[in-house]
Amino acid sequence: MLVELTALIRREYLRWIRAPMWIVAGLMTPILYLLLFGQAFNLGALVGNVPGGPVVLSRALWGAPDYFSYFAVGMVGLVAVTSALFAGTGVIFDKQLGIMQRTIATPVRRSTIFASILIFRGFLVVLPIFIVLGLALTFAHIPGLVGLTVTQPVGADGVAEVVLAIFILAIAFTSLFLAFGFLFARVESYFGVVNLLNLPILFTSNALYPVGTEPAWLQNITAYNPISLAVDVMRETFFGTTYYPHPVLVYLLGLLAWAAALVAVALLLAARALATK
Amino acid sequence: MLRSPTGEATLTDAIQVEDLEKTYPPAVRAVQGVSFAVHPGEIFGFLGPNGAGKTTTVSMLTTLLRPTKGRAAVAGLDVAEQPAEVRREIGLVFQDSTADGELTGRENMILAGGLFGMRPSECRGRIDELLGRMDLTEAADRRVKGYSGGMKRRLELAVAMVHTPKILFLDEPTIGLDPQGRAGFWRYIKELRQEQQVTIFMTTHYLDEVENLCDRIAIIDHGRIIASGTNDSLKERVGGDLVELRVPADGADLTETLGSVPGVREVSREANIYRVKCPRAEGLVSALVKACDLAGVTVEGVTVQRPSIDRVFLELTGKAYREEGYDDGRAAQASVFHTRGRGGR
Ligand SMILES: Nc1ncnc2c1ncn2[C@@H]1O[C@H](COP(=O)(O)OP(=O)(O)O)[C@@H](O)[C@H]1O
Ligand SMILES: [Mg+2]
Repeated sequence: MLVELTALIRREYLRWIRAPMWIVAGLMTPILYLLLFGQAFNLGALVGNVPGGPVVLSRALWGAPDYFSYFAVGMVGLVAVTSALFAGTGVIFDKQLGIMQRTIATPVRRSTIFASILIFRGFLVVLPIFIVLGLALTFAHIPGLVGLTVTQPVGADGVAEVVLAIFILAIAFTSLFLAFGFLFARVESYFGVVNLLNLPILFTSNALYPVGTEPAWLQNITAYNPISLAVDVMRETFFGTTYYPHPVLVYLLGLLAWAAALVAVALLLAARALATK
Repeated sequence: MLRSPTGEATLTDAIQVEDLEKTYPPAVRAVQGVSFAVHPGEIFGFLGPNGAGKTTTVSMLTTLLRPTKGRAAVAGLDVAEQPAEVRREIGLVFQDSTADGELTGRENMILAGGLFGMRPSECRGRIDELLGRMDLTEAADRRVKGYSGGMKRRLELAVAMVHTPKILFLDEPTIGLDPQGRAGFWRYIKELRQEQQVTIFMTTHYLDEVENLCDRIAIIDHGRIIASGTNDSLKERVGGDLVELRVPADGADLTETLGSVPGVREVSREANIYRVKCPRAEGLVSALVKACDLAGVTVEGVTVQRPSIDRVFLELTGKAYREEGYDDGRAAQASVFHTRGRGGR
């Protein structure tokens, strides 16, 4: 089974490595966000001199020392969605080119086919996330640049929690979009639906702007949004527990529930698409 | 247990098909109860015009489609009950190329081996051998998207053979190739069969393909098999060879005379032309001419027409066989038979 899995992943990898524009474009978008949007939009500079300003700001930013630090963690969620968005396209192309058909005609198990796609597409989601997070953390040590400032010591368990949150989030969104890839026969219908989903997912999360001023119903939705859950794990780890009602583990479990449900849905649709008709 | 169409149990057959049916929802009856057997080591041709049900049949035999009714065993394994085991024993060349264009020929083959549980190191030798066999050694490390049509088809063959299957399924393997490319491809298939001892089931809508390549054939039309057998046995159905004798217009009637020549099956006359059907024209032509001489009639011209599969198709379906997208003059020839067939009925 491992041989089959490796063979399938190797193929995906070879296709990916041979489309350099694709890679560059995928990585450039989040980096541009960090450099342009994140650097220019500095809330702290606005309220820094007002009496009591820093405290208000810290509360509004859920403990983050500045907006960039708040935003950089949120970028993880943004990058997760925008990278995972393409996960299903490979499936559709493989269906159209008959490559899927050829694979199905071999003794390879359906679950192995699904696993290979999830693993590789998940990797394509995780990769830019770590690059963005690494860059943001590095910026904090470069004079003249605003960066992601961690305000409390993060131990090995903290790092593990952050990494886990990133992986689970990537699996959740990759599965979500893979499900649509298995469902649809054409890229047009795929992007129609995916683009429709994309924005509400992002904007009902706490990734980009601080939560606290919207109506209660929206705050509830935000709290359960998978991006929010992942981002909460990271912010609580980086900026302290002061403003968070739950320990990190609660957010992680919520995220895990999302991922499990989405993997199940994707598996179901994959099984249907790969079955003998 | 499955039985061959002739009734006796044949465990040794490579493929046994019994009353196989496929109805696409809601009611497209693509295959309507076909039965046949393919013997080990032979090249079996499944001939039929577009839309006859060839791909649907192949898809059921290769476990990609579930039969609506009937049974099929491939390498002794039931396609509906043991699909995974069947997949292990078969190689498949689809109607359309399915190699990954972004990968090289060799990478595509390594992938194919991997899907059958072979590590790259385990199948390296096999891959080199097959690439060499298919004259692809030089192109092996180039990306497939740059291959010519013929090279792609050969690669598909090589890919399908990596895991040394017992039975190879080819669905219209030479579609889109020019006549030379097709003749070349036949040679590769024959060599493969010879060297790898593989049984080959292939579909085609080219008449010359079954005539030149296949040991036995089945003709499918509208989802039903209308005839099957060896090329020769099928051709014998149309009365074998046809000898046309042209005589002077004013001569006596020779129908009786010609009919009494040993080996003649049927004689018909149209004005001053006699058409003599016989199993084999060899050796008979001089006897026919001599018989005319003895009757005092000098034969002015003789032509011999070999039986052909399009004549078989015509006699069985009452319509001419048409090959779309490929014309080497056969289609025209077939329509000539068409008018003749109508006239003779
Ligand atoms: N997926 C499908 N759904 C409905 N009808 C189909 C499908 N595939 C093929 N058919 C129909 O079934 C018949 C046989 O098709 P096919 O097996 O592809 O023929 P061939 O390969 O001999 O050209 C055709 O009438 C075709 O239109
Ligand atoms: Mg077909």
